[in-house]
Amino acid sequence: MSSTAARLQVRSLNKTFGSVQVLTDVELTVLAGEIHGLAGQNGSGKSTLIKILTGLYTPDPGADYQVNGQPIRLPVRWQQVRAAGISVVHQDLGLLDQLTVAENICVGGFPTSRVTGRIDRHKRDQLAARTLDRLGVELEPTRLVGTLSAPERAEIAIARAMRDHAKGAGLIILDESTRALSGNDLTRVHTMLRRITADGSAAVMISHNLTELMAVTGRMTILRDGKLAGSGLATAELSEEEIARRMLGSNLAQTVARPPIPATPKAPTITVSGLAGKRVHDVEFSLAGGEILGITGLPGNGYEEIPYLLTGAQSARSGTISTSDTTVDLTRAGVIGCLRAGVVLVPERRDRDGLAFELSMRDNISLPGLRTRGRRWYVGHKWQREDADSAVDTLGIRPRTPSTLVKQLSGGNQQKVLLAKWLTMGPTVLVLHEPTQAVDVGARLDILHALRRAAENGMAVILVSSETEDLAAACDRVLIYRASTGAVETAVRTPDGLINQIYAVEHQSAGSTS
Amino acid sequence: MTLSDQSNHTQTREYAVNGFDSPEPIPTIPPDQRADPAPATATPTARRTATATLREQLGSLGSRYALIGVWLVMAGFYGVIMPDKFLSVSTAQAIFGSQSALLFLAVAALCTFVVGEFDLSFASVMGLSATIVPVLTALHHVPLAASCGIALLAALGCGLINAFFIVKLGVPSLVVTLGTASLFLGLAELISSSTIVSVSNPTFSNLALRNFLGLPLSFYYGLILCAGFAYVLTWMPIGRHIVFVGANREVARLAGISVDRIRAGSYIAASLVAGMAGLLLVATVGGFDPTASSSYLLPALAAVFLGTAIVSPGQFNPMGTFLGIYFLETGILGLQLLGYTGWVQDAFYGAGLVVAVTVASVVRSRTQRA
Repeated sequence: MSSTAARLQVRSLNKTFGSVQVLTDVELTVLAGEIHGLAGQNGSGKSTLIKILTGLYTPDPGADYQVNGQPIRLPVRWQQVRAAGISVVHQDLGLLDQLTVAENICVGGFPTSRVTGRIDRHKRDQLAARTLDRLGVELEPTRLVGTLSAPERAEIAIARAMRDHAKGAGLIILDESTRALSGNDLTRVHTMLRRITADGSAAVMISHNLTELMAVTGRMTILRDGKLAGSGLATAELSEEEIARRMLGSNLAQTVARPPIPATPKAPTITVSGLAGKRVHDVEFSLAGGEILGITGLPGNGYEEIPYLLTGAQSARSGTISTSDTTVDLTRAGVIGCLRAGVVLVPERRDRDGLAFELSMRDNISLPGLRTRGRRWYVGHKWQREDADSAVDTLGIRPRTPSTLVKQLSGGNQQKVLLAKWLTMGPTVLVLHEPTQAVDVGARLDILHALRRAAENGMAVILVSSETEDLAAACDRVLIYRASTGAVETAVRTPDGLINQIYAVEHQSAGSTS
Repeated sequence: MTLSDQSNHTQTREYAVNGFDSPEPIPTIPPDQRADPAPATATPTARRTATATLREQLGSLGSRYALIGVWLVMAGFYGVIMPDKFLSVSTAQAIFGSQSALLFLAVAALCTFVVGEFDLSFASVMGLSATIVPVLTALHHVPLAASCGIALLAALGCGLINAFFIVKLGVPSLVVTLGTASLFLGLAELISSSTIVSVSNPTFSNLALRNFLGLPLSFYYGLILCAGFAYVLTWMPIGRHIVFVGANREVARLAGISVDRIRAGSYIAASLVAGMAGLLLVATVGGFDPTASSSYLLPALAAVFLGTAIVSPGQFNPMGTFLGIYFLETGILGLQLLGYTGWVQDAFYGAGLVVAVTVASVVRSRTQRA
């Protein structure tokens, strides 16, 4: 193996989906023996980059992709990349609980008997044992994966990725693989990674946890909006603040007008008390009509379920939401009860939960109004047409024809349709989850403006998001949810400040690594 | 934060503004500088009408009714090669007068498909109902009207059984309806004691066979059924809910639709309509051999899938099913007149199903407008 060539080198990488450029002139160089961090906000292009490296997406022509100095022919074929020594450990680890350690490690490359094609169990267990031994993991190959602890499971997933790599060769990509770990468990996996890379193998680590990246990686590449915001920077010369600043950039000039803060706060009309779900607890807050309240937290700490609990989409363990008219028991109200009280949800996954993609814009927008605005025997088309036309005009949806099927729209326009669907109902409380995820800058502004307009018309808006820029730009107040304290209001009002506050909690759980 | 903290709001906020993190000035973007400016002035509707050009509309009309063109070509082809046999009133009567039971059966299948469910037992339900009527009337001397009522009740029971296992207990519909299909068939064979009985009651037969404008009344029942179903789906709130449950169950649930009630209702409605198909069969033929039920399954499915290529492309729709039935019958009758018999029906329905699904998925991927 040449010692001068980088283990992995990509240059001039561009990727466009339709008319949207998601990666612009990206490069990534990973040297043998290093752990390279890859950081960026949601939607910054990290996962697109990984999907290109592993051949799931084809990059735009002109990209240069080399492994150990050998060019990889484009479009990427996964077999070739794999043979060159690149493997991925996915976020959910991809382990089957009912199978043994050896079976989980060897899946995709079982040693077989040459004559019958049958799996050679003896060789399989040997291969697993050899791999584990090389990685310094002590585990019985015959144990069931279901019985293992969280860090052991991570080790098995890494062992699978390292199975075909010779000692000191190869590169593994850890795509948020350590997300479920904290404290000593995390340290243990980090120690293993350092051992692997000390032999000369390389690793690319993607993580939201900046403390983890600071502790483990040697160099970092940072993406922002599909462009490089730092390439191969030495981690030792960075601080978490510096990384966050590069992730967020300074494109904060474009934002949304916030009305001056009133001298006396409006009387709260919406009160949420004692809310607890599967993963969150102690969520209590109140807000007034006309106010936009942001809720955020560390990705994966459970705050993501708050919007679904508030709207009955997921039943709560305990908690109520009260409007000026009524109080709804969130443990059993369900969607129907919450809708009746005027509490509506704009969910995150517009493809799965938000819109019927095979139906038209107009059909989707008029869905919530069918029962109230249509007559029992005749639903009427005039109001549907008017609602759709006014949504097209006020939100600037393109194309302007409401009979267009939703699947034909761009992500931003789909999101606008989803928003329009619930805005036209005139709800009392509008709860949104990640309303600007994977939409372009123009659509993002349109959406935030629409929220502000809705609030000005007296709606109470609850914006649950990981996008600190949105929160800083659109919200009157922001709550940060932490497992230790529940949802607590923060005084910080800038994206950088919010990031720092969100990640501050991590110092307790991940800080032990350094 | 707890409720008692509410009084601190203003202070906290002022703290934030007065320089904790010195937020940047927050300019609004004038609307005309945004990436995708909203239209400034009136007449958006007028402009929209102008953009939906005649050409576009013709194009969508073309893809929407392409199947009718194929139908005409097929009829023209048969007409050219056997003008005297095919181009006659009796041929048209044979095509449009004979398929009503099958049409009802196809609508039964459609009931579950429109809500995104799947039922394989409808043909056996039809067989059960078509067996109950003659057995009760001829062997047990139950009045005909009463035995028809009992047959429909039995069909309702079949639907309830399907709904209970699939919706209430969450068992996969493929397994449940495959099982109940065989169960209902077995029951039908049990009560018929493996002998075919028939009932002949001219009044009853006349309800289906009386000629009206050259076609038997049963044709119009099918037309009314399909038109009524289409009305419900497009013009009634419940119908729109059904369409959304079929398009995306989670979206429907989050919009406050009782998804499970609609799913259960679809199985019950399917069985009831299949029961009616059984009654029609008895009225037209007199008796029924339940073991023949399964030969009705594939033609009904073929018509339903063929129907998704027409009227509202990509969607299961009743008028499409209506046309699909007669399209398939035209093809088969033509082949039979050419002298192919027996095997041709199975082959044509089988091939028809595969071609129909292929065409429907091509049409669906090309469709851009509702």
